[in-house]
Amino acid sequence: MLDVHGLEVWYGAAPALWGVSLTVRAGELLSVVGPNGAGKTTLINALCGIERARAGRIVVDGVDVTRLPSHRFCAAGIAVVPEGRRLFTAMTVRENLELGSHLPLARAERAESLAAALELFPALAEKLASPAGELSGGQQQMVAIARALMARPRLLLLDEPSLGLSPLIVADMFDAVRRINAQGVSVLLVEQNVEIALSLSDRAYVLEEGRIVAEGEPDDLLARPEIQRAYLGV
Amino acid sequence: MSRSTVAILAVAAAMALLPLAGLPAFYDALLYLMLHWIVLATSWNILSGTTGYFSFGHGAFFGAGLYTTSTLLARFEWPFLWTLPVAAVVAALLGTALGAVVFRVRSVRGELFALLTLAITFVVGTIVGNTPIDGGNGVSLASVPVPHLGPTQSSTFYLLALAAATLTLVVARAIFFSRFGAGLLAIHDDEDAAEVMGVPTYRYKLVALAISCALAGVAGGIHALFLSYVTVGEVFTITVPLTVVLMSVLGGTRHWAGPAVGAVAITGLLYSFTAADHAVAGKAAIGAILIAALLSMPDGILPRMQRAWRGVTHRGAKASASVAPTAAAPAPPPSSPAVPVAGDVVLRVSGLHKRFKGVRALAGVAVDVRRGEILGLLGPNGSGKSTFINVVSGHYAASAGEIVFEGRGLVGTPAHRIAAGGIARTYQIPRPFAHMTVLDNVALAAMFGGGIATPRAARDAARQWLDFTGLAAKADAFPDALNLHQRKFLELARALASRPRLVLLDEVLCGLTPSEIDSAVALIRRIRDQGATIVFVEHVMRAVMALTDRVVVFHHGELLAEGRAADVMQRPEVMTAYLGRAHA
Amino acid sequence: MPGFTLPSATLLAQSVLSGIFVGALYGLMGLGLSLSWGLLRIINLAHFAFAFLAAYICYQLASHGVDPLLTLVGIVPAFFLLGVLLHWLMARFRMTTFNSLLLTFGLMGIVEAVIQTIWTADFRKLESAYANQKFKLGALFFPVPELITLVLAVSLALSIWAVLRYTDLGRALRAAAEDPAVAAAFGVDQRRNGLLLAGTCAALVSIAGVCIALTATLAPSQMYAWIGVVFAAVMLGGLGSAIGPLVAGLLIGVSEAVTMAVTAPSWAPIVSFTLLIVVLVFRPGKAA
Repeated sequence: MLDVHGLEVWYGAAPALWGVSLTVRAGELLSVVGPNGAGKTTLINALCGIERARAGRIVVDGVDVTRLPSHRFCAAGIAVVPEGRRLFTAMTVRENLELGSHLPLARAERAESLAAALELFPALAEKLASPAGELSGGQQQMVAIARALMARPRLLLLDEPSLGLSPLIVADMFDAVRRINAQGVSVLLVEQNVEIALSLSDRAYVLEEGRIVAEGEPDDLLARPEIQRAYLGV
Repeated sequence: MSRSTVAILAVAAAMALLPLAGLPAFYDALLYLMLHWIVLATSWNILSGTTGYFSFGHGAFFGAGLYTTSTLLARFEWPFLWTLPVAAVVAALLGTALGAVVFRVRSVRGELFALLTLAITFVVGTIVGNTPIDGGNGVSLASVPVPHLGPTQSSTFYLLALAAATLTLVVARAIFFSRFGAGLLAIHDDEDAAEVMGVPTYRYKLVALAISCALAGVAGGIHALFLSYVTVGEVFTITVPLTVVLMSVLGGTRHWAGPAVGAVAITGLLYSFTAADHAVAGKAAIGAILIAALLSMPDGILPRMQRAWRGVTHRGAKASASVAPTAAAPAPPPSSPAVPVAGDVVLRVSGLHKRFKGVRALAGVAVDVRRGEILGLLGPNGSGKSTFINVVSGHYAASAGEIVFEGRGLVGTPAHRIAAGGIARTYQIPRPFAHMTVLDNVALAAMFGGGIATPRAARDAARQWLDFTGLAAKADAFPDALNLHQRKFLELARALASRPRLVLLDEVLCGLTPSEIDSAVALIRRIRDQGATIVFVEHVMRAVMALTDRVVVFHHGELLAEGRAADVMQRPEVMTAYLGRAHA
Repeated sequence: MPGFTLPSATLLAQSVLSGIFVGALYGLMGLGLSLSWGLLRIINLAHFAFAFLAAYICYQLASHGVDPLLTLVGIVPAFFLLGVLLHWLMARFRMTTFNSLLLTFGLMGIVEAVIQTIWTADFRKLESAYANQKFKLGALFFPVPELITLVLAVSLALSIWAVLRYTDLGRALRAAAEDPAVAAAFGVDQRRNGLLLAGTCAALVSIAGVCIALTATLAPSQMYAWIGVVFAAVMLGGLGSAIGPLVAGLLIGVSEAVTMAVTAPSWAPIVSFTLLIVVLVFRPGKAA
């Protein structure tokens, strides 16, 4: 449901992504792994409209969104869970979730979405009135994911959700991601933690220095030397 | 003495002869006002234009000087000329007291500083108006004798203002071309980076403010007698500060003569309107001009004219823009890892902790760095590498632990002293001073980190470093004309200009193309060959393998492994940290 | 130093009351400024000019027999559009916060000149049916124009507060102020919202202008006298807040009035400005 062709994103006078092409099939859970500085966050930001592409095409369910202004990406069915959560810390948890369903279509289904989110993350129920900035890292991550779900997306973008979280919380969180995917939402997950990413995904891409260097199913990829070279240099 | 200073003095001397021409008093008054505003605008610019701390309180200091003189004249019957130095001192003291408190508060910058200084104006005005200093009725100085400096009374004021304006312009020019001025301009672009580079920001801001206030105080003192009847309502208002802001912004805040140009332009304009009986239209015109200037010439008239002049004279000699700095440098030494360097320990870190609001960024890090080695800091995102560099360079304060550099403890030392003490660092995202040329950026580091005294000598040293990093062709360009690679090399040149013994590099290679990475690696090696010790954070494994003598791997704020790069990266615990258990 | 005289209870109470009235006007003037600064990152000095322009227009219409409150029907939409236009221009030129301060100061000069050309620098006082009406409660007087001002100030502040707190638009504005990029990623159209907000701020300040016309004597130079005090109210109340400036304004108005009653009117300014300085130095995080 997502087709990316020859995507190029530049920072100033230097390219951060070159000729990136990938596909996400409907209902898939896809990972993009790669070392730091490879361009993973740039990719996510380009897909949700935070960054502009200099060249290439992004097509969502047949609709070319590449040249749209940032605020129209969400209406195309994409929601993002940004790196570092980026919650609206001055607002309460409930308000963050309500902002997630800002667009008219999502707004109409707000009550159901909220109920579904609370089912997924029961711990949030008692934190709804707390300012988002006061929650722990793991709780904030839950809010960030819930906020994205409130937008009723067809494609969920997750940018390094495990960053800074303890292993136990990470396990719970990825459990939730699996359940979300099982409900039919396509997921594009960008992660530095190769093990977890590959264990979840149907397929994966390896991004290194702004380019896709490998693609395939998790078991295949783990055997290939590209990953080891990308991360360890050996 | 520079050409400009001689020119100022010559013009002043010529103008001093004007009263002998016997012009009608109107011209004396007009010229007096122009000179008066030249003093006020230029003195304001000494702090505000240079550092970017736009003060809306110039009226308070001007008023302090004015009322000092009026009090001394009316109440204590001092001779007029003696009141002027006192007025300067009182205004300077007021400013310094204010600055001593306000400049310590980090977040009071920009708009907040402007409003705070505006508030000071009204507070001082109210106090003056309600105490015997003024008492609400104004102070009459009609009976005070005006000293006989010129043929007429109005010409005396003209000459006094001329003297004040000359002094102010000479001082402003001297500051702009001094080391002090370079530091002030750096504060404008990036105060934190300036501090880390060795500029004593607090002290410099305070001195600039004191000078600015002293000059305003003198202008106030002269103006008191000129008016001969002073009231609070005329002095402690928003008019003086806004007018000086307008004049400086119009003329150009980054040039020492900019405010003077603006002052003459605005005063002349206002007077031409008043003379033609269109005072009201004059105000509208001023407003319109300010708006037009802000939109089309955000830097002011003078810089725009300078650029046009430069464009005309340099049209023939346009250098072609090169994409990457080519190696005008010697070929890099072979890449085989050198014999382990047996140098003495130059940096010893023990038990280093750093906490941010409950997050443990560093949890007891201990490492020795030996002289002449290249040490790589590796580890996944968020493992503490950048925090380590930030703590060692003084950007952050350590929560616990010890850092000993060449036998001296660093914990608790302010960043600018660490920079001057032999440690330099680069930023992951380059932070050059946007309004300074590439050459001046490096010269600044040479002055404050490298201890060179004069801007001229600093520029010579800077040219050497630009040659070393291959940026010589871009010396007169501004940072926004550089690509990322060149900007990173500029960061390196700045770091080197302070002649550090220890260089901390934070992800210098990120974002570069493979060939750029190669030239950067060669450069880093040359830096080490010059005698520096290098510690760098990097993800580009190719470079890590090629450059480092040793690496340490960070994980969750602690050190996981240490040794030769090729060895370390094959160890099971390191592979697990990066890739997960599947690879163990 | 002038002596401290302790006034009678009635005089003190009347002072407090007049402080409340003038404070409410400070709050109303500061409402648009606070929203604009906090949510749009624009410091709009032209607000003061707009207020006075609205005041003079109201005065003009009233001198032709139109009920001053009725003039709002025309004034509010007109100024809404003016606000939208100004914001559109500033957004086009990508003003930094500080430059917006300077630019709107220039605008203030132009508007002042226009006002002075049309209405001269003479003092003007709106003569209306309300001007001399007052209610009496016990020993205290409640002048009608001031009462109208108070009612308008409180109701507008509360309405805006409610919009910010409870509506989607309010949430969108607050989110965009904190993290514009992520807000856009969730569909918040900041250009459109910005224009809407700027128009609203101008409309609010035009209402304040009509209140000024009702309660005070007008002169073009008077515009500058409000700047200091209203900024104090805005900063004390917290940027981007609807109720903050009102509360701060009331606080300032009452402390000024009490100071005036106890010492002398000329000491009044020291209250608001000292408060402002203290807040800026000791709790700058709160102000910004």
